[in-house]
Amino acid sequence: MPKITIDGQEYQIAKATTILKACEELGIIIPNLCYLDGVSEEASCSICLVEVEGAKTLMRACVTEVTDGMVIRTNTERVRKGRLLNLELLLASHPQDCFVCERNQNCQLRRLAFEMGIQRVRFSKETSISLPIDQSSSAIVRDPNKCILCRRCTAVCEKIQSVRAIEAINRGKRTRISTFMDRGLGNSSCVNCGQCLLVCPTGALVENYHIQGVWKALSDNQKFVVVETAPAVRASIGEEFGLAAGSRITGKMVAALRRLGFKKVFDTQFSADLTIMEEAHELIHRIKNKGPLPLITSCSPGWIKFAEHFYPKVLKHISSCKSPQQMFGAVAKTYYAKKIGIDPRKIVVVSIMPCTAKKFEAHRPEMDAAFRYWKNVMNLDEKEHFVDVDFVLTTREAARMMKEAGIDFTRLADEEFDEPLGISTGAAVVFGATGGVMEAALRTAYEVLTNQPLSDVEFKQVRGLEGIKTAELDLNGLLLKVAVANSLSNARVLLEEVQNGKSPYTFIEIMTCPGGCLGGGGQPIPTDTQTRQKRMEAIYEEDRSKSVRKSHENPAIKQIYQEFLGKPLSELSHQLLHTHYHERNELDTPFLLNKTVKI
Amino acid sequence: MGKTITKEEFSLAKVDAVINKYVGKPGGLLSILEEVQNLNKHKYLPEEVLAYISKKTAIPLSRIYSVVTFYAFFNLKPQGEHSIIICRGTACHTRRSKELLEFIKKMLGIKEEESQEGEKVFLTTADKKFTIKTVACFGQCALAPVVEIDGVIYSHMTENKLKELVSRIARRGKAK
Repeated sequence: MPKITIDGQEYQIAKATTILKACEELGIIIPNLCYLDGVSEEASCSICLVEVEGAKTLMRACVTEVTDGMVIRTNTERVRKGRLLNLELLLASHPQDCFVCERNQNCQLRRLAFEMGIQRVRFSKETSISLPIDQSSSAIVRDPNKCILCRRCTAVCEKIQSVRAIEAINRGKRTRISTFMDRGLGNSSCVNCGQCLLVCPTGALVENYHIQGVWKALSDNQKFVVVETAPAVRASIGEEFGLAAGSRITGKMVAALRRLGFKKVFDTQFSADLTIMEEAHELIHRIKNKGPLPLITSCSPGWIKFAEHFYPKVLKHISSCKSPQQMFGAVAKTYYAKKIGIDPRKIVVVSIMPCTAKKFEAHRPEMDAAFRYWKNVMNLDEKEHFVDVDFVLTTREAARMMKEAGIDFTRLADEEFDEPLGISTGAAVVFGATGGVMEAALRTAYEVLTNQPLSDVEFKQVRGLEGIKTAELDLNGLLLKVAVANSLSNARVLLEEVQNGKSPYTFIEIMTCPGGCLGGGGQPIPTDTQTRQKRMEAIYEEDRSKSVRKSHENPAIKQIYQEFLGKPLSELSHQLLHTHYHERNELDTPFLLNKTVKI
Repeated sequence: MGKTITKEEFSLAKVDAVINKYVGKPGGLLSILEEVQNLNKHKYLPEEVLAYISKKTAIPLSRIYSVVTFYAFFNLKPQGEHSIIICRGTACHTRRSKELLEFIKKMLGIKEEESQEGEKVFLTTADKKFTIKTVACFGQCALAPVVEIDGVIYSHMTENKLKELVSRIARRGKAK
């Protein structure tokens, strides 16, 4: 092991360790804006400079490996000046409108400018060109003017998600990150996962904000505004209020939402239980009718768009079940509207999601089941068209609204969700973690298939943050091979097998984001491996705390089938709770079908 | 010549042949783009053709766009039949290459606003006969100012010499 000296102290460090990693382990902070462990090692920001004895220039700690006898200094006049100059050069082309920037509170560039004691920006931005903001996407907004070209977003898009919607274009000072032909994210293969947004050190990538629309609806007393919250939000929203990652604050979140003015605080977990009822029966139906198998879960809208772009042959394997968000919207504006006798046109459904892709999903044109349901009954005109889910807020946006409303989140007393669409089970909680939908479906499928009570509801084989998990389960004699993937590059491994007809599995769960929804693009920043782990622990703890842990035992679910839907996979279920998918080309390119192209 | 380009077709059979020659080889994309660009009289890569290459090679569209925009050699817009490249490097600048640029623009009747500082000059005549471009340096500073016409570098260029060369091309289709 090489012996090295850092700031006068001697250490033994494993071979092939970078100076940055060695310092990290030793508790010496080396600032940087572009490094992402194992994902982005572009060395583009040049902030992580250190002095290495004998080297002519200052070295970048992120790409320089330690060698035996190396003498490193991390805090000298020369190091500080070098870092400062590089930071000033980044600031030279960065807008100075921090007030109105969404990342004002957690911008790494801004924080670094403070920590390095920048007093004034020496190089003015006068000569730089102002680039148009990309607002083509319903989920993500990109402001290239705030981009410092660190390449974290392109690295995550390529390595974690294998989507590659964005790349660096042009060169020299005209370099910027863009999509093919600058068509914008909304016209590309971008799946709206928002992982780029989580790693962006500045405000160049943010979600498409729905906050103003929600405030407007809340102040309109003609509207009946209800809210649904996804499982993973309760495991993370506390972080926005300074609580430790993994703090369980479900009751406080409910109280805060009620203070915001929502008429009813409901739970996406109710519709997660509903999803399980439909999906478990779909699985059983496909097993009994020999296919198409494997069945693949459909809750994660980033994954759905990914399949539509890259795996059109696999679409028939994907469950026709809508995601819990969309099932909620559909039943809130039909079943619930009927139950309380309110005009469905007055109901506004706001969902709070750990996700940016959910914004895109809510805007998919086919997501208007409630309107279709009422159209004939109420003799509605197409002009009165309404969608199932009106607004989608990320965890961050929801917290921001609470702050704007002056809600002292941490001092609120716990409150309960409203009935009946707020009643849920432990099976629905675990949706928030990778493997959770699989586990929840197995809890129900087992009992429905075998007619016997499940002794241990915890399927630990499918838990944890590994990229791909597989298990072979014995459902009372029926052997079931299952697989779970999180992040789309991992999903590809399973999808290639499915596409080639060689998949050994019966049931596959795919979640777009690392760790599942708890690591979603709508979650508090930072979202890293440690916070993911903590949020996951909170989710499984919440599951254990629930008295009912199987979806089919949810009394509100039993009720909705009795009063409204009939049984799982009924005609009404299909009308409201199921959907279809279609192949997408990144470009609308009919010319590809022709033999020649006219130019 | 005087032919319109609207009837011309980009033969996908020829594009396929180029792709098959290089697909999977290291640096293959560059060779594909170069040869495909040369398949066309106007020496450019239309968006549709880039999309076709992406589909055939499984290289993401974003990557192809990245490569095409990185290299000055690739064109996304049709080029005139003849190219006139004015060197705007320091040596040529001090020898009045800017005036040469303005002169040739005027001579060919191009009345576009001056490009933004730092942007590439790229101007094509309405009849698609001539394209005027600039380059940062040809590396022929001792011969400044230099102008490249259809691949040949001419040294110590003057307005009169330029006028003569371009008029000859306009008349006979070549400079010599």
